[in-house]
Amino acid sequence: MSALDDSQWALLMAVAARVTPETAGLDDTGKRDFKGLIDTALGQRPAAVQKQFGTLLKIVRLAPVFRYGKPFDKLSPQQQDAVLAWFQDAPVTLLRKGTWGLKAMVFMGYYGRPEAAAQVHWTPEFDGNTELARRHNERIAGGAS
Amino acid sequence: MKTRKDYDIIIIGSGAGGGTVAKELSSMCADGLRIAVLEQGPRLREDEYTGRESEMAQKLYVDNGGMMTSDGTMTLAMGRLLGGSTVVYTGTSILLPEHVAERWAVPGLDWADLVGRSKKYMGENNVHLQEPEKINDNNRLFHEGCQELGYACEQFPINVKGCKGSGLCNLGCPNAAKQGTLRVQLPAAAANGVELITNCRVERIDGKTLHARIENRDFGEPSAWAPGDYTITAKAIVVSSGSVGSPALLFRSGFGDRLPMLGRYFTAHPALILVGQHAGPITNYQGHPKSYFCDEYMESERYLLETCMYFPFVTAKSLSGFGPEHSALMADMRRLQMILVLAMDPAEKDNRIEVDNDGNPVVHYAFHDTTINALVHSQRTSTRIFFAAGAERVHAPSADRFFIEAHEANRIDDIITRDNFKLGKISIASAHLMGGCRMGGDTAKSVTDAWGRVHGEPGLYVADASLFPQCSEVNPYLTIMGLADRVAQQVREDYAELAAVANTAQESAA
Repeated sequence: MSALDDSQWALLMAVAARVTPETAGLDDTGKRDFKGLIDTALGQRPAAVQKQFGTLLKIVRLAPVFRYGKPFDKLSPQQQDAVLAWFQDAPVTLLRKGTWGLKAMVFMGYYGRPEAAAQVHWTPEFDGNTELARRHNERIAGGAS
Repeated sequence: MKTRKDYDIIIIGSGAGGGTVAKELSSMCADGLRIAVLEQGPRLREDEYTGRESEMAQKLYVDNGGMMTSDGTMTLAMGRLLGGSTVVYTGTSILLPEHVAERWAVPGLDWADLVGRSKKYMGENNVHLQEPEKINDNNRLFHEGCQELGYACEQFPINVKGCKGSGLCNLGCPNAAKQGTLRVQLPAAAANGVELITNCRVERIDGKTLHARIENRDFGEPSAWAPGDYTITAKAIVVSSGSVGSPALLFRSGFGDRLPMLGRYFTAHPALILVGQHAGPITNYQGHPKSYFCDEYMESERYLLETCMYFPFVTAKSLSGFGPEHSALMADMRRLQMILVLAMDPAEKDNRIEVDNDGNPVVHYAFHDTTINALVHSQRTSTRIFFAAGAERVHAPSADRFFIEAHEANRIDDIITRDNFKLGKISIASAHLMGGCRMGGDTAKSVTDAWGRVHGEPGLYVADASLFPQCSEVNPYLTIMGLADRVAQQVREDYAELAAVANTAQESAA
């Protein structure tokens, strides 16, 4: 069973599209992996933490109603950015840390995928010293210090 | 139905503390003593060290490395597997400075004695300086930047053997090169007859009886004991579950009332990961990630700067902000230079470990004003180092903008301000968890004496970083091993008397 229901996932994906715009371009496999990483991480947390995360999503969805008259998922991208920026710098620590947690989940889902690691050119090899030696020799051959 | 096991000495935890005690006491097995190490995590198979970030975080760390303090403003990284945090550190090996031992002022703890013992492990664990040709650009640029600015900068000794430069130290070395307790002390202990019992969570200590549960995971090797509940007797018990785990276990065991300082004076070296972006690729994830440190502002501003190189998710969550700018910084990790800030946080009584109603640890931590100042000042210094090293732009979480461009370098103090340092917004992490069972002279001020003996509890010892009365101001593992060596000596000296008492009790019961 998923840690989030369909409507919570939909909101999280809307948030993700602003936090990491690349998530909007994920194919079906990418979306499945994105959700899988978040689901696993949430599922391992205590029930109270899962509940807090659900509450946070609810707050992010409904808080904009007071400012824009519409929930988060009905806002324009610029308005969504403004809402997230406000939450990120909110005067209350609880809201700031909640936003940090929300962003962290999105980053985990996106950058935690091995495919994303390759896309951002993080491709470590178990024998990194070989590449290091090659670059070192290149530098010496090029006369650099 | 609980299975009963009888031992002479039980060591709970297998990291720098527990692994060291196990090895030091292991020769007693030759005299017929039964000794076991109980480790909460599994022993990973060698082919499970894949270097894949999410997968390894789940297998190596408590809560994927994201356990949070109670107010959610800092994450805590703790290894949970055979070898403990020595499997996931970078192996940087620094001796406790003499002035720190003087600040600690623990009656009966002599700095020269402690350092002498730590040096023994420097030899045992192959501590040495990395050869210059194995130092990557990320580290070299830090050194050059510090030199350019006239800052003190030194090379880290590290404890590797056959390092191939995977750069994956914090995800567990896939080449088995890091010389932590998993590779050195625990195999030596096992060879001498110490039993290593994994996937074993000790619920509580009741006199000289432990209550534990074996629960295998869907990764790692299964425990040597069958899944289920156990009662385990021992004449001596050494608690080495780390600064969060050890106080939590002692609280679950009912020591909170007798030991008023239990769990208190927790320190963490709160850390920031800072990122500079260069015009083109540099070598950063190839080679050992941590070669240099800068202690220019250690005394005046209370922080240390170290080189570091992290992985995509950890890097992404360490940045403040979101959206296209965040993506632009993340787009090419080959261009990133990274610096780790460690703040030297003061030991405060209310920064403490407790347990919740289920017995799980809860860490209460409030940032001291000097720690926040250190974290702000360190961002300015790091930004200067990045620019001196040639970075095009820098991300500092307390800046009033996402990127600080090189042409703005003369305005760093205006751009990075204390007003922009907002707890909860900024990603602060700790991997140096210290205190909670602090050493000292008496119960009113401490939990153990200078030899790790829990006040008023013969046969119960602590051997890990929870013993630190204040932060160590350096990467802590060598100090933990030095202290654990002392604890092992004390257990050895006490053992005959503990055994006699246990035998008398047994005869009386019979």
